[in-house]
Amino acid sequence: MTEGLDEKGDLSCPVDAPRDTVTAPSPAPSESQPAPWLARWGELIALRWNPLNWKIETRVLTGFALVFLVLLVIAGVSFRNTNRYFENSELDARSREVLQFLNLTLLLFEESDLGLRRYLVTADPTYLTAYENARQRAPVHLAHLRDITHDHQTHEARLDRLELVITQTLDAGEQAIALRQKRGFKGVRHLVREGIATAQLNEIRLLLDEMGKTERALLRSRGQESIVGTRSTVVLLSIGTVLQFLLLSLVYYLIRHDIDQRRRVAAELQHRGEQLEAANKELEAFSYSVSHDLRAPLRHIDGYVGLLQKGAARKIDDKGKRYLQTISESAKQMGRLIDDLLLFSRMGRAEMANTPVPLDQLVKDVLAGLQPDIQKRAVSWTIGQLPVVRADPAMLKQVFFNLIANALKFTETRELAKIEVGSILSHDGDAVLYVRDNGVGFDMQYVDKLFGVFQRLHRSEEFEGTGIGLANVRRIIHRHGGKTWAEGALDKGATFYFTLPLE
Amino acid sequence: MSARHIILLADDNERDVELILSLLSEHDLPHEVIVSRDGTETLDYLYRRGPFSARPPGHPTVVLLDLKMPKLGGLDVLRVIKADAHLRVIPVVMLTSSREERDLAESYQLGANAYVVKPVAFELFRQALKQTATFWGAVNEPPPIH
Repeated sequence: MTEGLDEKGDLSCPVDAPRDTVTAPSPAPSESQPAPWLARWGELIALRWNPLNWKIETRVLTGFALVFLVLLVIAGVSFRNTNRYFENSELDARSREVLQFLNLTLLLFEESDLGLRRYLVTADPTYLTAYENARQRAPVHLAHLRDITHDHQTHEARLDRLELVITQTLDAGEQAIALRQKRGFKGVRHLVREGIATAQLNEIRLLLDEMGKTERALLRSRGQESIVGTRSTVVLLSIGTVLQFLLLSLVYYLIRHDIDQRRRVAAELQHRGEQLEAANKELEAFSYSVSHDLRAPLRHIDGYVGLLQKGAARKIDDKGKRYLQTISESAKQMGRLIDDLLLFSRMGRAEMANTPVPLDQLVKDVLAGLQPDIQKRAVSWTIGQLPVVRADPAMLKQVFFNLIANALKFTETRELAKIEVGSILSHDGDAVLYVRDNGVGFDMQYVDKLFGVFQRLHRSEEFEGTGIGLANVRRIIHRHGGKTWAEGALDKGATFYFTLPLE
Repeated sequence: MSARHIILLADDNERDVELILSLLSEHDLPHEVIVSRDGTETLDYLYRRGPFSARPPGHPTVVLLDLKMPKLGGLDVLRVIKADAHLRVIPVVMLTSSREERDLAESYQLGANAYVVKPVAFELFRQALKQTATFWGAVNEPPPIH
């Protein structure tokens, strides 16, 4: 039994092996040791923010996002600069209009003054046209100037002053005209000599000149600004173009690199696939010749032993007969080993069917096949409701055959063997099936060895077998995408679980 | 003597031949067992040519045909027999070491009449041979002579 194996030391099982992954009743055992979460988050963030660790999709997307961002910045700045340029052009046009009006206004008053003087000398009313003109047009000019410079405060103050001075000038002109009409030339001689409103006229000149200077300064500064703006747009466009080119090159490189890598992997995969296929073919040829050529000599050994036992029975003593018996049994055991190994190898290679399998019927078939073993025994069967699964029926039959035959074998020492076949629905939607017995069980310490090839927990004198049955079960269930595990205790029976995708 | 009381055993392995002959002799069969040691010899016998050109005409009751033989294998021989209008009526029992799926499939595809595996255990081998020989040699009615 297991103690015996322990003494021999040939089944020294590592105690710290991850046993719970096999023994937990739940088919998907969770992580047992939660690491300090803070450190893990730190690592995660470091991992997440290192572009070298990014997926190609993320990298390409980031690259394109950067290109788009640069485009957006360039578009924004260019739009702003162009807008400013247009605004400035509009302002320039207005400034020119202001300058023109300033000139016109000055001209208006110069001509009016000249006309007035001539009138004072000659009293010819035709010379008053310019004055009348100035009188009528001055308010219009002022209003227009106010209108087109309303956003300029210095201008406004000056225009207020200008309006006052203009009114004074015009009033002075009117008085002078009245004086000329009342008193004749003598009354206005001093005005002709000294000028009618010299001081006011000078101030008008001064004010208009100052306003002109201000507008010209504005024109100059706006011109400067436009040049700077245009230049910065050009520079930005150049830098942007270079940057776009670099970014796009980088993205291209990344995609190219990824494609190359994928191509390499695909080629490698194909190569591996071919190798695997070749290896598989070789294995098939190997197992074919094993099944023929290894069996023949064993048959001969047992055959000749048989002939010897029959033909020379009287010449052989009891010891010799026992030897012959041993030779015969060994040959047969080897024959079983070869058969089981071939089956194991075939189960790993054979193409799998994928059909709905009603397990109720399948288990009935298996039990029918085991009738010869069952008939001589007292067995209490409990067969639960079994689901329909998607699987290869022949392979699944092998699984149930192995598990139930095992249950029968390891309950041989029981007066009444109790064997239960049942199913539970797992939380992730797969079917969990189990075969339970009340047999000799096993020490959980060796649970990892159960499903290994040629691994046995009992001496062959106690329970015969080749140690491949459970390995085959695991292999078949793995090929179906399921899991296998077992629970048991020494002398307290064992339960073997496996999962299968439901139909 | 009439060939209708002949079992043709085609097997290249002398130990198998010795074992089979020994086991067949345990039973009271009215048959003579003729052994051919490879595929070519088997066909020579059936076609009465080469070393068998002088044999009396007629088909054997049954051919026990080993699968793995040098030169012409069992399946090749089977193919020739079942493709020949005269020979195809002879019952052919494949007698082989293994039940490889593809051998089984191909044998029946080619028209084998039975497929018997030679078990490793002597007792089982004895039973298998006894049943085979009794059925094909005594129970089964052979095809009528042309």
